[in-house]
Amino acid sequence: MNEERYLLFDQYLQGEMTVEERSNFEKQISEDQDFASEFSTFKEVLRQLKTKFGHEQEREAFIENLSAISDKHFNKEKPKVVFMRPWYFAAAASVAILFGLLFFDYNQNPSFNDFNQPGQAHFTERSNTNVNLIQAEKAFNDKKFKEAVPFFESVLKNNKTAEIQYYYGVSLLQTIEYKKAEVVFNELKSGNSVYKEKALWNLALLKLKQKDYKGCKQILQTISQEYEDYDEVQELLHALE
Amino acid sequence: MKKSKIHPDQKYIDGIAANDSAIIRSIYKNYVPKVVFYIMNNSGDRDQAQDVVQEIMILLFNQAKANTLQLTCPFDAYFFLLCKRKWLNELKKTSNKGVTINEDFASINESALDSVEQAEQFDEKQQLFDMMFQKLGDKCQELLKLSFTIKSMEEVAEKLNVTYGYVRKKKSLCVGQLTRWIQEAKNFKSLKNN
Repeated sequence: MNEERYLLFDQYLQGEMTVEERSNFEKQISEDQDFASEFSTFKEVLRQLKTKFGHEQEREAFIENLSAISDKHFNKEKPKVVFMRPWYFAAAASVAILFGLLFFDYNQNPSFNDFNQPGQAHFTERSNTNVNLIQAEKAFNDKKFKEAVPFFESVLKNNKTAEIQYYYGVSLLQTIEYKKAEVVFNELKSGNSVYKEKALWNLALLKLKQKDYKGCKQILQTISQEYEDYDEVQELLHALE
Repeated sequence: MKKSKIHPDQKYIDGIAANDSAIIRSIYKNYVPKVVFYIMNNSGDRDQAQDVVQEIMILLFNQAKANTLQLTCPFDAYFFLLCKRKWLNELKKTSNKGVTINEDFASINESALDSVEQAEQFDEKQQLFDMMFQKLGDKCQELLKLSFTIKSMEEVAEKLNVTYGYVRKKKSLCVGQLTRWIQEAKNFKSLKNN
């Protein structure tokens, strides 16, 4: 192995050469094809090492998260097996019963929080430079809905799209501004955007949050089966039975 | 690469790089069923489809982290084509059992094809690199791992209880060893192709 050569590559890349050494090196790159090609492979190896180890923890976290989502998608969730010794089990069971008696919620109606998934907004990738919209998106994605509302309002003054309206509505719902939210979703409901069914779902959630179970059910029944999250609609309908 | 415009679906790539569960779930919900359908119609089963999808997702993560992925076509086309070609490669490896391929299902998109070929090259390079890295001695592996996670070579030297000069030199030589092997593999490949 040509050791000197690799030490030279490193010195050059670290900027540790004198002006003269540097120009000699660059001269060799331009004249010696073999040398140049090996130098470019050397740089490539450095890049690969950087990606391999620089993001190792992130990669592990990603793979773990990915596997969980993938298993869930392919219905492979395995129930967790917990081994318990019998006396632990007896103790745990009596504690469970005690807690059950103390805190059992006899009102079996589903709760808003079980179904509440505000999701994430993604406007700004579309090379959008509207400062208010960027702020709105950021606040929304950080779940700071109260902060997001005024940003959405100023964006909607000049730029009223179904998507922005939808996320505005969701923010209103999260901040318990029922009346305003209802107006927004009703407008989307009568429109023809892709947010039509989503708006209906949010109207149903709005009723659920106010514990108007009958109203919630009525709205759910109007949602088309084509709706992408129809399984949640069914789940909530079932829970309302 | 700059000349083509970045597609708004770049958000999926960015979401994968950021490990954004909402984005990953939406990919599974919106784009994976089509892949599963294709694989199941072409001599595969659900488990195999799940594996192919997962491998492609990891490839996309790696590519995004290396900043080499700028989507110029819809994510749908790109993702489907990547999975499809991955599956066809798998089939080729075990093709002695007779394979039926339902080709008219394919939707070929020129821009997607280009990007897919880039991704495949990226993957190939990375696999070669990983293989060569495993060939290195334990000392080299450890030193490289430390120098690229810690970054300050002074700290690396301290951790390994050697001098700064030694780690600097050793690091260059370990990178050099990898360079030589990869260079040889490249030369061999171009010899084979000519």
